[in-house]
Amino acid sequence: MPKKSSRKRKPVTSRKSRGASPRRKRAHPPKRRTKKSRRRLLRWPYLLLAVALLGLAWVIYLDVLIRTQFEGKRWALPAQVYGRPLELYAGKTLGSHAFRQELEQLGYRYAYRVNEPGTFAQQGEHFQVYRRAFRFWDGEVAPRLLQLQFDDGLVGSVRDGRSGEELDIVRLEPPRVGGIYPSHREDRILIKLEDAPLLLRQGLVAVEDHYFYEHHGVNPRAIARALWANIKAGGTVQGGSTLTQQLVKNFFLSNTRSLWRKGNEAIMALLLEWHYSKDEILEAYLNEIYLGQENSRAVHGFGLASRFYFDRPVEKLNLPQIATLIALVRGPSYYEPRRHPERLKKRRNLVLDIMVQRGVIGRAAAEQAKLRGLGIVEGRRTDTRYPAFMDLVRRQLQRDYRQQDLTSEGLRIFTSFDPRVQRIAEEALTRRVAELDRQRHLRGQLQGAVIVTNTTSGEVLAVVGDRQPRFAGFNRALDAVRPVGSLIKPAVYLTALEMTRRYTLSTPLEDRQIRLKTPKGNVWSPKNYDGKSHGTVPLFYALVHSYNQATVRLGLDLGFEAITDVLKRLGARRDIPPYPSMLLGAVNFSPFEMAGLYQTLAAGGFRTPLRVIREVTTVDGEPLQRFALEVEQVVDPAVVAVLVSAMQEVTRSGTARSLQQRLPPGLRVAGKTGTTNELRDSWFAGFSGEHLLVVWLGRDDNRTTGLSGSSGALKVWADVMQHLPTLPLQPPMTDNVEFHWIDSHTGLLSDEACAHAVYLAYVRGTAPEEKAACNGQRDDSTMEKTVDWLKGLFN
Amino acid sequence: MKRQVQKRLGMTLLLAVLLTACTSTSKQPEGFEVETETPSGVQIRPTPDTSKAALALLSKARSAAKAGKLDVAESQLERALRIEPRNAVLWHYMAKLRLYQGRLEQAAGLAAKSNSLDKGDRQLRADNWRIIAHARYQKGDRAGADAAQQQVDKLTR
Repeated sequence: MPKKSSRKRKPVTSRKSRGASPRRKRAHPPKRRTKKSRRRLLRWPYLLLAVALLGLAWVIYLDVLIRTQFEGKRWALPAQVYGRPLELYAGKTLGSHAFRQELEQLGYRYAYRVNEPGTFAQQGEHFQVYRRAFRFWDGEVAPRLLQLQFDDGLVGSVRDGRSGEELDIVRLEPPRVGGIYPSHREDRILIKLEDAPLLLRQGLVAVEDHYFYEHHGVNPRAIARALWANIKAGGTVQGGSTLTQQLVKNFFLSNTRSLWRKGNEAIMALLLEWHYSKDEILEAYLNEIYLGQENSRAVHGFGLASRFYFDRPVEKLNLPQIATLIALVRGPSYYEPRRHPERLKKRRNLVLDIMVQRGVIGRAAAEQAKLRGLGIVEGRRTDTRYPAFMDLVRRQLQRDYRQQDLTSEGLRIFTSFDPRVQRIAEEALTRRVAELDRQRHLRGQLQGAVIVTNTTSGEVLAVVGDRQPRFAGFNRALDAVRPVGSLIKPAVYLTALEMTRRYTLSTPLEDRQIRLKTPKGNVWSPKNYDGKSHGTVPLFYALVHSYNQATVRLGLDLGFEAITDVLKRLGARRDIPPYPSMLLGAVNFSPFEMAGLYQTLAAGGFRTPLRVIREVTTVDGEPLQRFALEVEQVVDPAVVAVLVSAMQEVTRSGTARSLQQRLPPGLRVAGKTGTTNELRDSWFAGFSGEHLLVVWLGRDDNRTTGLSGSSGALKVWADVMQHLPTLPLQPPMTDNVEFHWIDSHTGLLSDEACAHAVYLAYVRGTAPEEKAACNGQRDDSTMEKTVDWLKGLFN
Repeated sequence: MKRQVQKRLGMTLLLAVLLTACTSTSKQPEGFEVETETPSGVQIRPTPDTSKAALALLSKARSAAKAGKLDVAESQLERALRIEPRNAVLWHYMAKLRLYQGRLEQAAGLAAKSNSLDKGDRQLRADNWRIIAHARYQKGDRAGADAAQQQVDKLTR
C-alpha cells in the first residue's frame, strides 16, 4: 500500500515543486473543481498518511538512538585497576613503617579494638590487622584477624589472630590504583546522584533549568522567554534549553545551531522524559555534561571536572567551587578558568546570586563565597594518582586483549604496580629534577621519566612520566623517543663478547681518532667525552669509561648486522639505522623500550617482555585470557655474566663511580650512563639483583640541558635505588664463568691488593694467562699460569 | 591422538612433580599414584633452603593442578618465583607446567633459565635438558634435540 502511494505521489510532488504550495491552494480554492483537481484532492489523505508514517518512523528512529545513547552511558562502569597485593611471610624485607603506610593506603583504620575488617592496631613492631575479604582472580579470601611481628626491617612472623597458628603466607587485598575505560580514549569519573552534593544538584537546577521537575523535557515558556530576550538583545544571550535538552545535545556533541537540529533535540528530550525518571536524567547529566578541554581530550561530567579543576572528589567540593563548575556549564571555553579567570569569576558570582534568588543558599553564604578566589589547581585528568602507569595499563590491554572483551563492564584488572616503589620513584624524580633545573637555570623546562621493573619477572612496578607525576599529559616514560647515547654500548660490547674466541674483556682495543666518510660525503670523526684519545686499552676499560673512538672501531670490526641482531634479540623492535653514529647511540628509543633491552641483560640473557597486567577478570570474577610469564633464552648466560661484570665496574670505577658514595655499602649494581650530543639527553640504565631502573632527563623542546648521564639521570637513579628494598647483584650460577682480578691498564691477571685491579668475569678457559706486575707493568717474573683461586667459589 | 597421549603423560608428570614437591609440607593422598619422572626414578624436590612461603605456594599449585586448574597452578608458581627468583627448582616446575600446557618453546626457555641458576644438582640439570630435548624434537630440530640429549646422557652417566 505505501509503495503504491509513494509511486503515485511522485508526479504530485514534482508538479508541486513547479508551482504554489498546497497551503496556498487551500487558501484560494479554484472555483470549479476539475476532474484533475478532484483526483488531486483524493490523494491528500495518502500524502498525509505517508508524511505521518515518515514522521513516526523518524520518531522511532530518534527514540532508538537516544535510548541507546542513554543506556550506553548510564551503565558504563569503569574497569577497576589494582596494584600488586602485599604478600606477607616470615623473612620478607618489609619494615613496620612501610607496612603501616600500606595499611593506611588501603584505607585501614587505626582502632583500639580490632574487631571488624578494615581495622588495625600497632604496638611498636607488633601489629594486629583485621584483613578484609577480597575476591582475587584465583579465589576469594575471607576476612581474617592477623598478628604480625616485625623485626628490624623484616617480617618476623605472621600468625592467625585467633588461634595463634603460624601462617606460611597471606596476602592483603591489592590497592586500587584507579578506574579506566579501556576501550575509550577518554576517562570519566562516574558519580551517583546520591553522592553528588545537594548544593550542586539544587544549584544546577536553579541556574540552568528552574522548572526541571515540572516540565516534560521541553519548556515552551523558557524558550519563549529566551527568544524574546534574544530578539531584544539582537543576538543569542539566553538559552531556553532544559537540562534534558542539554543532555541530549551533549550525547551528539555538535555545535551547529539549526532549527532541524533543535527540533530533533526537543523530540529526543521528550522521549527521554517519557522513558526515564527525573533522577535518572539528572544523574546522566551530571556525568555527561561537557565541562572543559585539555589538548585532544574532553572533560565530561562533574566527577572528572572536579578532579581536573580542583583535584578533589566531587563530594568534597565547597560552595564557591560548586558555583564555579555550574558557571562553566554555560560555556567551558568562553569561561576557560586559566585563560579567562575574571570572566569566570563574574559568572560564578552570578550563579551564586541566582542560587540565593531561588532559595538554594542564604545571602550571607553567597557573599562569603564571592570573596574566595577561583582556586583552580593543576588537577588530574584521570581517576588515578598514577596517570603514567595507567597509560601503560591501557596500552597493554589494547595490545593484548580482544576489543569485545574490553567493552564489557566492570572489568577487574590486576597489575604488578607497587605503590611503595612508585612513591620512591616519584619523590626521587620530582626532587632531583627541581634541584637540577634550578642549578642549570632551565626555568622549569627540565623533564624526566623513570621506569622500575622486577628483573626476574619483567613486571613493571612503577612508571613516572612527568616531573609532576600527578599530571596526565605527555607520558615521557613511554613516548619520549630520544637518542640513547652510550646506553647502546653494552649491545656493541655484547656482540663482541659473544665471539668468545675473538674477544674477551681483556682484548686490546685502539682508542684513536677515526675519520669516516658519510654517504653524503661529509667526514664524521667522533670525539671522546674528555676530548682525548687513550691509545690501546683493554676492551672492558673502553666500556667502563665509555670511550667513543674505541667503540666505533670495535663496532666497525663487528659489522652493523651482528650488532643489530643482538639488539633485536635483546628486545628492540625498531629499525636500527646502519650508520656508524648508531654505535654511539644515534638511535632513538623510549625509556620503556630501553628498560626492555636492559631487562634481558638483568635477567642473565633471558628475554622476558615487560608486562604490567597479571590477570583480568569480568565483573563476575570470570578470568579472561591470562598473561603468562614468558622467558626465552636469547644470549648465552655466561656471555651476559661477562658483560655484566664490566657493567658492574662502570659503577665502581667508571663513568658511574659516584654511585659508590650514593648507594648503601654492599649493594652491588651494574649500569651504564648515556649522554647525547650537546648534552640534550641524560640517561642512566642499570640494575641490582632484583630491580631494573631506567631514568631519562631532558627537555621537551630537545634543547641542551647541560647534563651528562652521570651529572643528571644517575643522581635520580641512585636516589631511587638506595631507597628500594632490593637485593644486590649476585654472581652468576653458571659454571661456565670464572672470575679474576685483572689489571685495568693491561687487561692481564693481577692481584686484589694491587692498584688498578678490577674483578671481572671470563667465559671458562678464555681468561688471560699472563700476570701483570702490581705497578701495572707486564710481570715477566710471574709468567707462570696462575691458579684461579676462586675456582669452586661459584661452582 | 598422539597429542592426547602426550597431554596425559604430561599431566601425570606434572602432578607427580608437584606432588612430590609438596611432600615436605603436606601428606600424599592415598591411592594417588606417582609415576616416576626419570629413568632413575628420582624426583626433583625443593632444596632444604626453600622458604616455607614458597613451599606453601607449591602446595597450592599442586592442589590447583590436581583440580585441573592449570592457570591457577601457574599463578601460584609465579607467586613463589616472586619470593624466590633464584630458586632453580621453582623455574623447573614452571618449565614442567608449560610442557604440559603444550607450550614447548616456553618450556625450553624456562628449563634453560632453571639451568642457569642451578647450583650443581645434576638430576635437575638433566631433567631440564630433557625438557629442552623434547621441545627441540617437537619443533623438528633433530640436531638440537640430539645435542640436548647428549647433555642428559653426560649428566646421568
